[in-house]
Amino acid sequence: MENLKNQIFSSYKRNPVLYDEIYDKKGQVKEVYSKLFNLYGEHSISDFVNLNEKAKASFFNQGITFQVYDKKKTKEKIFPFDLFPRIIPPEEWAIIESGAIQRSRALNLFLWDIYHDKKIIRQKVVPMELISSSTNYLDQMTNIDPPGGIYNHISGTDVIKHNDGQYYVLEDNIRCPSGVSYVICNRTALKRALFGVFNHYKTYSVTNYAENLLDLLETVKPNGVDAPNVVVITPGMYNSAFYEHSYLAKTMGVELVEGRDLFVENDFVYMKTIQGPQKVDIIYRRIDDAFIDPLEFRPDSTLGVPGLFAAYKKGNVTLANAPGTGVADDKAIYTYMPEIIRYYLNEEPILNNVHTYHCSRPKELKYVLEHIRELVIKPVDEAGGYGISIGNRLSSKEVERVKAEVQSNPRKYVAQPILSLSVHPTYIDKNESFEQRHVDLRTFTVLGKDKEFVLKGGLTRVALKKGNLIVNSSQGGGSKDTWVLKPQ
Amino acid sequence: MSLEYFITYKAENTYEEWVHEAYWQFLVVPEENDSQQFIGVDFNNSINARHEFSINGYGFKTIRVHPKDRFKEITFEANFKLIKKKINPFDFKPEVDRVKSYAKIQELDFKVDFDAHLKTTVFTSVPNEKKGLFEFDKDKSIFDNLLALNQFTYKHIQFDAHATDVHTTLKEVLEIRKGVCQDFTHLFCALARANGIPARYVSGYLHQGNGYFGDSQMHAWAEAYVPYVGWIGFDPTNDILADTNHIKVAHGKDYVDCSPLKGIVYTAGKNKTVHSVQVNGQNQQ
Amino acid sequence: MLARVANNLFWMGRYIERSEHIARYLRVNYFSSLDAPNQLSQSRQFVLRSMLTMVGSPIDDESVLLNEEEVLYKIGLDPNYPSSIINNVRNSRENANSARDLISTELYESINKFFHFISNYDAQVYTKNGLHDFTLNVTEMSSILRGKVRSTLMHDEIYAIIMMGGNIERATQIIRIINAKFIDAQKAQGSYGDKFKNSFEWTTLLKCTESYDMMRRFYKKTPNSITTLEFLILNPDCPRSIMNSLNQVYKHIKILDHGKRPDKDSTAFLVGKVRADYEFKSIAEIENDIQSIINKTLDRLYEISQKMEKEFFSY
Repeated sequence: MENLKNQIFSSYKRNPVLYDEIYDKKGQVKEVYSKLFNLYGEHSISDFVNLNEKAKASFFNQGITFQVYDKKKTKEKIFPFDLFPRIIPPEEWAIIESGAIQRSRALNLFLWDIYHDKKIIRQKVVPMELISSSTNYLDQMTNIDPPGGIYNHISGTDVIKHNDGQYYVLEDNIRCPSGVSYVICNRTALKRALFGVFNHYKTYSVTNYAENLLDLLETVKPNGVDAPNVVVITPGMYNSAFYEHSYLAKTMGVELVEGRDLFVENDFVYMKTIQGPQKVDIIYRRIDDAFIDPLEFRPDSTLGVPGLFAAYKKGNVTLANAPGTGVADDKAIYTYMPEIIRYYLNEEPILNNVHTYHCSRPKELKYVLEHIRELVIKPVDEAGGYGISIGNRLSSKEVERVKAEVQSNPRKYVAQPILSLSVHPTYIDKNESFEQRHVDLRTFTVLGKDKEFVLKGGLTRVALKKGNLIVNSSQGGGSKDTWVLKPQ
Repeated sequence: MSLEYFITYKAENTYEEWVHEAYWQFLVVPEENDSQQFIGVDFNNSINARHEFSINGYGFKTIRVHPKDRFKEITFEANFKLIKKKINPFDFKPEVDRVKSYAKIQELDFKVDFDAHLKTTVFTSVPNEKKGLFEFDKDKSIFDNLLALNQFTYKHIQFDAHATDVHTTLKEVLEIRKGVCQDFTHLFCALARANGIPARYVSGYLHQGNGYFGDSQMHAWAEAYVPYVGWIGFDPTNDILADTNHIKVAHGKDYVDCSPLKGIVYTAGKNKTVHSVQVNGQNQQ
Repeated sequence: MLARVANNLFWMGRYIERSEHIARYLRVNYFSSLDAPNQLSQSRQFVLRSMLTMVGSPIDDESVLLNEEEVLYKIGLDPNYPSSIINNVRNSRENANSARDLISTELYESINKFFHFISNYDAQVYTKNGLHDFTLNVTEMSSILRGKVRSTLMHDEIYAIIMMGGNIERATQIIRIINAKFIDAQKAQGSYGDKFKNSFEWTTLLKCTESYDMMRRFYKKTPNSITTLEFLILNPDCPRSIMNSLNQVYKHIKILDHGKRPDKDSTAFLVGKVRADYEFKSIAEIENDIQSIINKTLDRLYEISQKMEKEFFSY
């Protein structure tokens, strides 16, 4: 550990074992961060605290909050955020962007295949059990051709930088990936607080996400529709991502609907407006498959629209993402991504995959049980960081419990070596100082018919608990503005 | 020769409190297939709510109703008319080569093609300790094994209209060994699949002789896929093969895919539903 | 616009307006009673009863002794009393939440700040010595919201719906305030001439509706029952009058109703009819039977609201 000279970094402790995003191995500030480092160095820590508080108050007043419940009453909290941005240089971004597009395209072709001819299984590239035992595989989607041939219109690819300095993909989120609104809010907050720093860097704007999303969604309109009517469907204002749903609807200039605002008649979807029913052509849905249509899926769902699937099957409405897409964000599928990319695109994967052990294979299960201390054990079908066990953080009692659980249901688990996520200086409220915290990056890719878009930026998620590797907001993670620099 | 059928399906729903919003979907319209020629359907309900025809996720015809006004009572009645060809269920080319058939079901392509009807569902999962309940005799043809399975199922469960309901799992059925056509069919499907044979749950109507009124319900049986032959209907509740008296509506992995009535009803208080089915047939020249 | 969201916006408009009127009523009555000319008007019990009558929870039993802090808490900050100011503001924010994609960021932010201001207000401070500060802030923040509605939203259907909600609510609150003060004036009569006509309560009524200065400029005389009611019910230029509110409602319903000549079953037709009724009403008609005019006005406003709901919000 060494202390560094710079007012606000004066108490920053650098652990040389970890890959620090702003310091190189010798403890020098990297070229790309040096200007920023100096600019921030002009502030005292109390200035910084002041600015940070103001930025947080602005989040609070704008109602960009989530609710927590304590004994007495519900409280509103903002998602933790700090004003020191993460910078991604152009050459690194080029890899991330092309890698994210490559994965999204490959996953889309994979989805088309497994809902049609299933060639990849017949040719034994991936095992059949992956699909036949997946609860996210929807038989009803068999032989349905989604408009424009697109299943995963919106993908959120999570990447991390390992201590070898290379980017690795942690997972592909292609159900309802969220977080894009925070990318934009973080940028807005940083611009308000420290507009001066933007003069020193050429950073890509992130505010063009909504217009690109709308543009690409319109490319997958149902046949025979000229000017498609797009809506965003939300589970409602008590959903934790409601702010994002309303943000997206607002910036796309489309209606934000709930299930009860829509109805199906003669296999067309309509929304109930003050001027009577109005046809809906494209639905960006932020409701999971199981809940979209109680007549076809979970009958107890009150969030969905009865008859929606029949309208979709008939080709009268586009759903983004398509139903059944979730099968491909199963973590077991992730482990076959290199093969999937080679099979459909005849290309080598641009982004690294983390090596994965399948507990369903007896040999690998044996390895996992023997090396559990060195591995991260993940359930294959949970999102949001739930159910993850990190081997070297478990007590011996917990180790036994996890082992037993894995053995009783090996299909449900995969294991990966514990990666060392890179760390980034992060302002920690409690200690009023900058400290190293692990970060990842969620990128957002949109696929349309013959068109694609990757948001030049992303959500840098920070594990606020010291040493913690899980960055999901549901697990107490924070976030940072993320600058993708333009090439010089 | 063929039979002309007149089928009436009725459902009466009563609610304690006003219903302000409701959606129903009926999966009761006979399928059109090689042996079933559809002539007509007449559907109505007691409050004159609009109805429409649609196709569900598995490709079967549905009737959907969404009343615009509130109600406490609603009765649905569907009348179908169709012509069913006389079938002799044993009239098919038997499996040519037993060994070839057993080899076929091991092929990956076969497994991929029939994946949907080979996999286990909540209602067709047999507890581990009962996995070997019925094992095929490889010295006999697949068809003969399925006939034996049909009889085994028939004998293994005792018909009892009140022992189970639509939520009963196979595990419970195997414990009490009592049940209705759904339970027989689920067991048959589960054991056929356990032996590598694709099997599907079929819902439909059973003609039990004219003039049989009243509390008759929809029936369920199974179809199993015999390599080089095709899908064959087995009715394990009656230990027979599906024949001219079996009028098919839909098939699926289990009851959930075929439930005749799905309703999303927004109301407080209790409700009651009474279904009845009547099937009349007459010979046609 | 979605029917459900339109309904929410309509109610957002109503709740904002409602909290403002309640807050002002509390403040004006409380503080004008301190130096009121007669003993009854000065009586704290009298004022507290008047407040409860205005929010729709009158206490008729004269023997009940009201506790000032309890009454103020109930009307201002009690989360368990549905008509409290805090619940009105909470409701307006909930309604704004569901229409967040339609209203401006500025408007939403102001509503949100308003809510946080109220929910963080110390109940102890408020009931002991914060009444003036609290209620003044509520009325000022409501004014800010009105300004944001007018200047940060397109004057389209969304605006029309919010304005209709606000104006129907304004007319309703004004008539409720008139009702409460009418009851007070019958009890606390003046000291000369027609004692009811010259009650001090008419001045308080004008102050409760922020119309005292306007009225003095217009009539240049001490307010009495006739001039006050004429001003607050019939004067189209008084922005707080029933007539003015009805004119506003009529103007905005026409933005929603696309028909050139409204269908006789439409809300627009009903609003037009009610408006015409007040336009051609004389104060003499009102003076004879004040109570029945109050009741009828409330009924008509309710009718308009119901009709709107059926025509635009239900599906």
